[in-house]
Amino acid sequence: MSARGALAALGAAPLWLLAAAGVAAYGTVAGNYELRLLAIGGCYALAVLGYQFIFGRVGALSLAQGAFFGLGAYASALMALKLGWDFARSFPAAIALSVILAAVVGGTVLRLASHYFALATLAVAELLHILAVDWVSLTGGGNGLPSVPGFVVAHWIVPGGWPATLLVWGCVALGALIATNFSASLYGDGARLLRAEPLAAAAAGIDADARRMAGFVLSAAFGAAGGALYVHTLGVVSPEALQFDVMVLILCMAVIGGRNSVAGAILGALLLVHLPEWFRAFEGWALFAYGAGLLLVVIAAPEGIAGAVAALWRRWFGPPPLPAVPKTAPTAASGRPDDRAILAARALGIAFGGNEALAGATFFVRPGEILGVIGPNGSGKTTVLNLLSGFYRPDRGRILFDGRDVTALPAWRRAQLGLARSFQHGALAADLTALDNVAVAAGRARIADVLRMPGRDRKRRRARARASAALDAAGAADLAGKRGADLTASERRRVEMARALVAEPKVILLDEPAAGLSDAEKGSLRTVLRGIAARGIGVVVVDHGMPFLLPLAHRVICLDAGRIIAAGSPSEIAAEPEVRRAYLGGVPVA
Amino acid sequence: MSWAQIAIDGIALGAAYALVALGFVLILNATGAVNFAQGDLVMAGGFAAIVLAGLLPLEGIAVPGLALAPLVAVAGGGAGWLIAEIAYRPLRHRPPVAVFISTIAVGIMLQHGANGWFGAAERRTPPLIAGDALDLAGLTVTRQSLAIVATAAAVILLLHVLLERTQLGRRLRAAAEDAEMARALGIPVRRLTALAFALGAGLAALAGLLLANVYFVTPTAGLAFMLKAYIAVTIGGWGSLRGAVAGAFLVALFEMIAGRLFSASLADALLYAALLAVLLLRPQGLFGEAAGRRA
Repeated sequence: MSARGALAALGAAPLWLLAAAGVAAYGTVAGNYELRLLAIGGCYALAVLGYQFIFGRVGALSLAQGAFFGLGAYASALMALKLGWDFARSFPAAIALSVILAAVVGGTVLRLASHYFALATLAVAELLHILAVDWVSLTGGGNGLPSVPGFVVAHWIVPGGWPATLLVWGCVALGALIATNFSASLYGDGARLLRAEPLAAAAAGIDADARRMAGFVLSAAFGAAGGALYVHTLGVVSPEALQFDVMVLILCMAVIGGRNSVAGAILGALLLVHLPEWFRAFEGWALFAYGAGLLLVVIAAPEGIAGAVAALWRRWFGPPPLPAVPKTAPTAASGRPDDRAILAARALGIAFGGNEALAGATFFVRPGEILGVIGPNGSGKTTVLNLLSGFYRPDRGRILFDGRDVTALPAWRRAQLGLARSFQHGALAADLTALDNVAVAAGRARIADVLRMPGRDRKRRRARARASAALDAAGAADLAGKRGADLTASERRRVEMARALVAEPKVILLDEPAAGLSDAEKGSLRTVLRGIAARGIGVVVVDHGMPFLLPLAHRVICLDAGRIIAAGSPSEIAAEPEVRRAYLGGVPVA
Repeated sequence: MSWAQIAIDGIALGAAYALVALGFVLILNATGAVNFAQGDLVMAGGFAAIVLAGLLPLEGIAVPGLALAPLVAVAGGGAGWLIAEIAYRPLRHRPPVAVFISTIAVGIMLQHGANGWFGAAERRTPPLIAGDALDLAGLTVTRQSLAIVATAAAVILLLHVLLERTQLGRRLRAAAEDAEMARALGIPVRRLTALAFALGAGLAALAGLLLANVYFVTPTAGLAFMLKAYIAVTIGGWGSLRGAVAGAFLVALFEMIAGRLFSASLADALLYAALLAVLLLRPQGLFGEAAGRRA
């Protein structure tokens, strides 16, 4: 093994050991002041780790992280001062309070579009700040609360210096562990897909609302934990802890360190806490430098310092080795082609601003049947798919799937019931491997999975095994270890096909799967699709051209201007004058 | 203060907010991105006016503030152009949240740049028109209030003519509607987005000059202006120019009336609570959303 290979095989473990050794060495020379700074860095690191759940993983720009930090600080301080609670009680209580606030606020504001979500979270933060300033009898107003006790756990007063610093960093280590588990779980992979491609995530059966809520609540819990540690480290709290500046500082730490990396959160927090100390001479301009640094990093290194290091690492040592994945063969064809429809649309109609995109379409597909949907551009083909998969709510008509009315169900629920789909552009998360892009659809991830160590996460292992088999079936086995960002358009579509297949759907909806393929590739795609149908899966294929679909489909419907103008076997469709007119633009057919 | 007095002050404040909010929407429509530095540009406009007033011989002039207005607007426009080139252009193909963050970064730099340069103390710009308040039928109307309303009205009218009646305005709207198509038609999209930033920032800086005589200016004042413009645009309908103006007057009147009834900070709290209520009950804004629903 070459030196490079040996290094790559070791992975990031030596870096962590080196970092820990560095901190230990620093500790031997550090005085109490330095240790306190280190502890404050730890408090922020926890808040940044939390912020990564909502901002990095789920991708929603919350501006309330500073508020959760300040809330945690005030809550823990007040419980210590007014109720006489020790840290062992005020710490979890402060976290619980913040979590309750996040759940109440998140229940409504998380549904808002991103620019409104940012504003709403900022408004909540400003409300808390006003409360801290104006509720003088409780919070001490602008002066804040002095003489907050230090850390007291079960009558033991944790001494300042090393013990207190270790207590803070113990909490950071625990937080980092949870964050690492989140990243390395099926749940976290799903969140990444949700951030990159919300529609594809819904089509993979991922409930966006629940996952955003989990991210927001986790961010609140970590933020409050950081704030509570902060207030007992400092011994005072004032409304400054709730000012927008704290939010800005946490944002800078997250972006500069790396918004998706555990190491990045810790690095960003330590760096920005220490920078003003290193540049004392430029006092007052330190925050200006944060702004400049933030701008520079957003432009030049969107994944922050940690992301840049990881990219360098990949360039020098190649991609991390793929975990050995046993393949789980897909279960044998469950249903046989029969006459009962598995998916049916009844008089389905939808209009966009008075323009009728689909005017009462009725059709069905049987298990094991390939239904082709053709029509010129703008005829309503993709609208049909979006209605069937649940991205549009029809104005009228019903959709029946597997014996139940799914018209009112959201897309992710339909996906969980076995209605899979692909997208025209091959919607994958750029920073996940093809294998994990498929695996997110293979298992039902829960937030509790995050409490399981990655090595013991059987759910993810099983999902990867099924994903590996699905990649085989879609003819994409060789792509398993490549990241979404490194795939070509046709490779992405093959991976997407695997993702649609992996959940063993009953019906699969494909949006122009043949677009941009060579004739040879189209031929092998037909073979793949026939194989899928032969397993008893109903297949709906949308395409604007007949040459690909006619040799493939069992039945075809042709759309023009939102209406089904013809339906029948491929040969009937090819001979239909209406169809030819629609395609040839009104030229009379001889 | 009588209610009529409050109405007059509210209208003057609303006129200045309207400029800030219009600038916010111009940039929003041209780029699809929120300019989070909009409030800090208001603050920077106030400080630019103070610096310029120190450089120019304004002593005996009857309209010291008005004389500064074009200069402050041009300075703000230059800043906007720079922001477009540095903080927007490299990120134009990335998700809107990237520009959100880069403009937060610009705001931080403006705020702490002003703090490092001028310190944290309150300062005020020269009055637009020198002289005492006027007495109109028992109401004391300051010349500043009248001048703010007049200046803002003139600027809004000019902007309306620019956008609706000129070829430049049509191109600006075309580029905002569909940048790819506009580029294909030979419209210089890059220069037009920079122009939108320049206009937006110029309007903000002008508002800074108008406001900082009555309300003073500090380096940390930006956030409040940003929030008020953001709220005005939200309740007025995301992307709507008319809605932004209407929203700005609503926010200002709310602020004055609630401030009179309760306290300034409670007025702010009520404003944020009202905003949250609007977002939950009518996310398309009080007057409907011009930019349409976004997926």
